[in-house]
Amino acid sequence: MGAITLQRLLLDSKGLERCPFPIPTGWFFVDYSDTLKPGELRNVHLFDQEWVLFRTEGGQVGLSDPYCPHLGAHLGHGGKVVGENLRCPFHHWEYDTAGFCKQIPYAKVMPPVTKKQAILRTLPMTEKYGLIWAWFDPQCEAPSWQLPHIPEMEDAGYACTRRGTWPVNTAIQEIAENGVDFAHLKFLHGAPGIPPAVVNFEKHIIDINMASGYIVGRGYGPGLNVFQFTQEGISSTMISYTQPITAERSQMNMSFRYKDYPEGSKELHISKKLVDHMIGAAEGEESAGFESVDFVVWNHKKYRPNPLLCDGDGPILQYRKWFKQFYTAADTDTLAKV
Amino acid sequence: MAEVRVTGRDGSERRLEASNGIALMDTLRDAGTGVEGTCGGACACGTCHVYVAQNWVDKLPPKSEDEQMMLEAIGELVEVRSTSRLSCQIQISDTLAGLALEIGPVP
Repeated sequence: MGAITLQRLLLDSKGLERCPFPIPTGWFFVDYSDTLKPGELRNVHLFDQEWVLFRTEGGQVGLSDPYCPHLGAHLGHGGKVVGENLRCPFHHWEYDTAGFCKQIPYAKVMPPVTKKQAILRTLPMTEKYGLIWAWFDPQCEAPSWQLPHIPEMEDAGYACTRRGTWPVNTAIQEIAENGVDFAHLKFLHGAPGIPPAVVNFEKHIIDINMASGYIVGRGYGPGLNVFQFTQEGISSTMISYTQPITAERSQMNMSFRYKDYPEGSKELHISKKLVDHMIGAAEGEESAGFESVDFVVWNHKKYRPNPLLCDGDGPILQYRKWFKQFYTAADTDTLAKV
Repeated sequence: MAEVRVTGRDGSERRLEASNGIALMDTLRDAGTGVEGTCGGACACGTCHVYVAQNWVDKLPPKSEDEQMMLEAIGELVEVRSTSRLSCQIQISDTLAGLALEIGPVP
């Protein structure tokens, strides 16, 4: 890449897109486990399409393509959970959570393909941290990694039920890019300086250590990030699980956790203040959390595949190269734009 | 174009003109032989079952795994023989001129 000409900058700007990204591959949050009772089903919009979310009588969770492989009826409009299966309203064909057709009430012979393979697209599912997760891969490939153990969400000794959800008009790659854009912390968030930071990329994991341990974050693919904020030896944890709704729309979701400190203790006070600071304004802090400042940029920016970067910018390009691994089915033209 | 000699389920004999490039099932269905071909060639319904004449078995393209599985599946309900085929899996060409078959039983 040679020197940038003004003409190229102008031409680039005219052709920029807001979100040229495909839906990335990975584990994504679907909903909170306690919102889906056995026998319940509902339609959800995720990964740029509609899906039918259901829980069997036995408690297994399923996320299925809405349209019956038989004659195309929408399983989420009139369909029903029957035992361990999802039943189509049209002819009562039944499917299990893995997409296998288990029952055709009037066929004398089940089509052999139904024994060989799934015929309805369903996503691999798991429940962890009290959350329902789906593995999305555009080509229906099986999960290539598993969700980690998160002590703050799974072990005894932690507290806080605070969580939040925020819609944002951009793609996950753009949201998470701010995690390696250290300069914006000073200018957009108002931090006292550009924090020193170290970033490591390893397979599907990204590690970020900002301001010598003040913020330590780990991302697991595009759908899960765990950030620990530490002050005076006290840590609070932000567990962030953003959903790709469409190519240009995401839903940010976060849980906040800290140690189960006694009511009225200094430790609890610091823990709570750290959570306040992650989200927005906090007492005694000059800088602002994401809620007050990041959305205005995310909601209106365009993506520059060939940005002009200067010294002091973070490892934006390394981050983008790392993120490309999640566009598992993208062709060369698409990859050139992301 | 190939002339096909068909024995119906009632034992009646017919000669049908089958067009090249389409499935034998289509010709049999359109001629009202009782072949239904409900699934359209997906090896999912078994309603186009025929018995081909013994001397034609080796002249036809071999059965795919899907056809074999469908024949085995209907075998639990009707008589399936070594000469059984799904007529939706047989594409007509000149080389099939004279093919003799009997419309098979279906589930």
